[in-house]
Amino acid sequence: MSGVSLSNIKKAYGPINVIHDVNIKVEQGEFVVFVGPSGCGKSTLLRMIAGLEETTGGTIDIEGADVTHLEAAKRGVSMVFQSYALYPHLSVFDNMAFSMQIARRPKDEIKQKVDEAARILQLEDHLDRKPSQLSGGQRQRVAIGRAIVRQPKVFLFDEPLSNLDAELRVQMRMEIARLHNQIGATMIYVTHDQVEAMTLADKIVVLKSGSVQQIGSPLDLYDNPDNQFVAGFIGSPKMNFLKGIVNEPRVDGKITITLDDAPNTTFDITCGSATLNAGDAVTVGIRPENIGLEHDETVGPTVFLKPEFTEELGGVSYIHTQTKDGVRVTIERRSERNRVDQEDLQVTLPVRDLFVFDADGARLR
Amino acid sequence: MGNMKTGNILLLTFTVIAACAWAFPLYWAIVTSIKPEADVVAGTIFLPETIDISSYVWALLETNIVRWYINSIGTSVLITVVVIMISMMCGYALSQIVFPGRRALFLIVLASFMVPSQALVVSQFILMHKFGMVDSWAGIILPQVIIPVVVIVYKQFFDSVPRELREAAKLDGCSEFQILFKLYLPLNWGITAALSIITFIMAWNNFLWPFLVITSEEMMTITVGITQVGDAFGVKYARDMAIAVMAAMPVAIAYLIFQRRVTQAIMLSSGIKG
Ligand SMILES: Nc1ncnc2c1ncn2[C@@H]1O[C@H](COP(=O)(O)OP(=O)(O)OP(=O)(O)O)[C@@H](O)[C@H]1O
Ligand SMILES: [Mg+2]
Repeated sequence: MSGVSLSNIKKAYGPINVIHDVNIKVEQGEFVVFVGPSGCGKSTLLRMIAGLEETTGGTIDIEGADVTHLEAAKRGVSMVFQSYALYPHLSVFDNMAFSMQIARRPKDEIKQKVDEAARILQLEDHLDRKPSQLSGGQRQRVAIGRAIVRQPKVFLFDEPLSNLDAELRVQMRMEIARLHNQIGATMIYVTHDQVEAMTLADKIVVLKSGSVQQIGSPLDLYDNPDNQFVAGFIGSPKMNFLKGIVNEPRVDGKITITLDDAPNTTFDITCGSATLNAGDAVTVGIRPENIGLEHDETVGPTVFLKPEFTEELGGVSYIHTQTKDGVRVTIERRSERNRVDQEDLQVTLPVRDLFVFDADGARLR
Repeated sequence: MGNMKTGNILLLTFTVIAACAWAFPLYWAIVTSIKPEADVVAGTIFLPETIDISSYVWALLETNIVRWYINSIGTSVLITVVVIMISMMCGYALSQIVFPGRRALFLIVLASFMVPSQALVVSQFILMHKFGMVDSWAGIILPQVIIPVVVIVYKQFFDSVPRELREAAKLDGCSEFQILFKLYLPLNWGITAALSIITFIMAWNNFLWPFLVITSEEMMTITVGITQVGDAFGVKYARDMAIAVMAAMPVAIAYLIFQRRVTQAIMLSSGIKG
């Protein structure tokens, strides 16, 4: 059975369409992450699932039941907000117990469930405190506790960690992963931090301007992006993109490309079934870790890069460079510290690691 | 440094003088009320030579003041409760519930608080007369339960409650009434207390309306009642002052207890007016 399924979901605020025909299937017990740049409609989509926004078109199913027009409280979903949204006048205990008190559950059942959630989240010592007396991480745990006690079919998280500092964020990320293993409920998680997305998700949904760009497992998206947007969005540091031009059209499924930054070299590359003509513009992408600092024309084209500065992180370093046309290129090194001086580099872009996109950003290879 | 000190002293002197000028009539009223009538007429003495509380005894025993107290307290408390309940719900609806005509309704509320209450007195009286409520508590209370500024203050405070709190409560299964009473009201206790006190004081001090709508002495509020004393028994300054002091006492006590809240409420409502 599917946990949540969205079919042809649309959302308009007045005349402005912000979500266009979104179709997503989330399996029961799956951890799905919505990522995308700011304003792409992640929160709107999540809030429609929660029942906090009306849907303009399409249907939402939760565990087989159509909930499109059901009120929020009856959908069996819990939501954890970025701002925590704890009730400031209630103690930690009462915050977590609130939904059951509203539903007039018996006192001992409430106590038992809240204690259970407090144990899972290590909040037992803080039950009498007010939210204002807690740290950010503790507040977020209370918010999660409040979601747990309702035993929802689906947990919804809207950037729950973005108000925390980096260290705490890593720790809470692991706690959320542990929680998912422990209770096995369906979870939908919104973030624009793609590290969070990669580490937590069973499945990532990449959104842009209210449309789904690609759905897949984290490594799928990393290895096989459908388009230039996904390729650039997934992975940190970002994939490098260089402009090129088709020299000769397809022969035996191969095209020949000249990079703008390496006008004297051409390379052949196998491209799917796309129809390309000589002179068409293409974009060639390569991940920072795949750029070779050795100059070796047999594996691919070579490009001159001017180093600007280097970030030394110990185990890994990033060399930030520019081509002569000012296109920024990042190179990742895992060894050989201090190898780079200020002289121009001639690097190799191995053909087997290249991605090729057409002028509209669609993946050719 | 020296300059600032002189400035401070000047400012202090000025405020002290202003406070004295303001407090003097109060002082005079209290002092007069505890003098024998003969001393009052003789005049000129700032401190009473003999303290005489017979004016108070007279007011308690010979006038309807106890009855008037009950009327004043009863109507003022009821007005306060109803005003707070109505305004809170109205402010909540205007602030949180999306319905057609919400903006228009808000503008009407805003506009209605530009209308001075005196301008409505005649039509209100006719209305109360038709309802058969002249000379009753209901007649005193009903026209006073609509105070637009309280609605507006509540709306503004409710506007500033974060949207996520309301949404969390919705997901937790609250109805609109539960959201109001379990979330918005507890989050706004301070302003509720302030608005209650200032409404109570306004209702207690109101003279014009109770004066018009009440015809029998038993039903009078204390502000109306004290005007009867002079008329009926000729001018007796000590008695007049004693009864005036007694009329003002509950409000003065309420004010002293809730001083900070009252100031806050006055600043809020005048801030919106201005
Ligand atoms: N109430 C509203 N009225 C009109 N437009 C809205 C409203 N709420 C959101 N939008 C628009 O809908 C789009 C999607 O907003 P949404 O909040 O879902 O973005 P998001 O992906 O969550 O962004 P972020 O990462 O910044 O949180 C935005 O362009 C926003 O301007
Ligand atoms: Mg958002």
